[in-house]
Amino acid sequence: MAEPALALKAVRSGYADRIVLQSVDLTVGKGELTAIIGPNGHGKSTLLKTISGLLRVREGEIALAGERIDGLRPDEIVERGVIHVPQGDLLFPAMSINENLMMGAYRTREAAAIAERLEKVFALLPKLKDRRNQLAGTLSGGERRMCGIGRGLMAGGDLLMLDEPSLGLAPIVIDQIYEVILDLRRAGSTILVVEENAERIMDAADRIHLLDNGRFAWAGKGPELMASPQIIEAYLGA
Amino acid sequence: MDVLIQIIASGLTLGAMYAVATIGLSLVYGSLNMLNMAHGALLTLGGYICYATITHLGFHPALALIAAALVCAAAGLVIYAFATLPLLRAENFETNIFIATIGIGSIIENLMLKSFGPYPIPQPLGISGQVVIGNVHIPVQNILILVTALTLMAAVAFLLQKTRTGRAIRATSMNREAAQLMGVRVGQVYAQVLALSGALAAVSGIMISSIATLTPVMGGDPMLKAFIVCVVAGLGNVYGAVIAAIVLGLLEAATQYVFGVRWSFATLLLLVILVLIWRPYGLFGRGQVVRL
Repeated sequence: MAEPALALKAVRSGYADRIVLQSVDLTVGKGELTAIIGPNGHGKSTLLKTISGLLRVREGEIALAGERIDGLRPDEIVERGVIHVPQGDLLFPAMSINENLMMGAYRTREAAAIAERLEKVFALLPKLKDRRNQLAGTLSGGERRMCGIGRGLMAGGDLLMLDEPSLGLAPIVIDQIYEVILDLRRAGSTILVVEENAERIMDAADRIHLLDNGRFAWAGKGPELMASPQIIEAYLGA
Repeated sequence: MDVLIQIIASGLTLGAMYAVATIGLSLVYGSLNMLNMAHGALLTLGGYICYATITHLGFHPALALIAAALVCAAAGLVIYAFATLPLLRAENFETNIFIATIGIGSIIENLMLKSFGPYPIPQPLGISGQVVIGNVHIPVQNILILVTALTLMAAVAFLLQKTRTGRAIRATSMNREAAQLMGVRVGQVYAQVLALSGALAAVSGIMISSIATLTPVMGGDPMLKAFIVCVVAGLGNVYGAVIAAIVLGLLEAATQYVFGVRWSFATLLLLVILVLIWRPYGLFGRGQVVRL
């Protein structure tokens, strides 16, 4: 495995009195695309929310490039380069696409860096450039997802975390979204994707982790998963 | 024609004052889902600070206005630190902060009562003179209030639309979690919004007391009308609140002229009832308001 960009050790976390993640260990290699798959409601989104600081780490450690980030506020974690594109995009509906993208670069003060990232985002997602003045609340599902990813890229972070990028989208739009993700992967970005649709991510990911009831039940590469019909049948319902 | 000019002039002045009183209230609700019941008391505090700094400390009126805005902004920060922040961490924030700010408002009003007494005091900011349009005499004081209010509204609009701080405030009011994921320190945003709201309340209190008088309970009526404006516009919608405030000011002036002063408040309340029946979330409100 490549040098670890992110490492979780025995992490427990959840909501109020309910612990969802039960002692989770995970390592994400630098420049790799790591996928978290698993049934709905078993802690995939909770995992990303815990890494980005939206949920408190009850026990365990999270380290980014060797430096502890558990216990930090979400804005401090963003500052260290962790970008979380949440499920449902959570765009700012009364802001234009352009303003949403600018919010992505909220922590960056240098105008030149912002302009450079904006150019890169528009090159990767040209539809956003055409509609830059359109209100985000008026976009279609696929456009919202593109805007969410673009907004994440505007932060210029070291680790991009995508929560269910294909959720609720038409197959043709999912193809477009994954094309963008693979472009980013080829450009050397470190990506952590949570995906319920295991088939979709199997070929693209460098490593896949199966999360079940708040614990990792299996980890391996796509072809290994495809060669394990009992895993697919037991956990992914295929 | 003269009547129309008179109604428009009075209505715009009233509407501008309501707008300034409402913006702060609306900003706080939009960002925190917090009904700040101490807002009226902050208006009062602003009016008295201006009075005290001019008469007792010999401040220039402009300096007195700035001093009042700073003191009320600081009061907003105190409310954030000692009421909002602890209550945000607990359940039932909306109800608890509603009750807590009633208490804070009462403390501020009683401090004013103890310091300045119960009797009405004139605000030493009045400007004499009139502008004559046709046969209508419009006090210069009213024009000054209108210009000040419009300038403040433009400044707030600029802050919200064109600055990094403003974008963070708008983002937090739209989706707190998403704002956090962009790196916004929402606690800082809440503090900024309460400070800004306090400063706006101070200016509003000075404007209102400059055409009426200072009393410890003077904030009650404008706060009630600010709530009416907020409800008509849709709670938390700042731009809608400005439009609603101007329209309600004009309506109040027209009602006072046509039916008499005693009918003006009843008309406003009737309008609120009709708006709530027609559009329960206000004219510019969103379908659902959740503390983000």
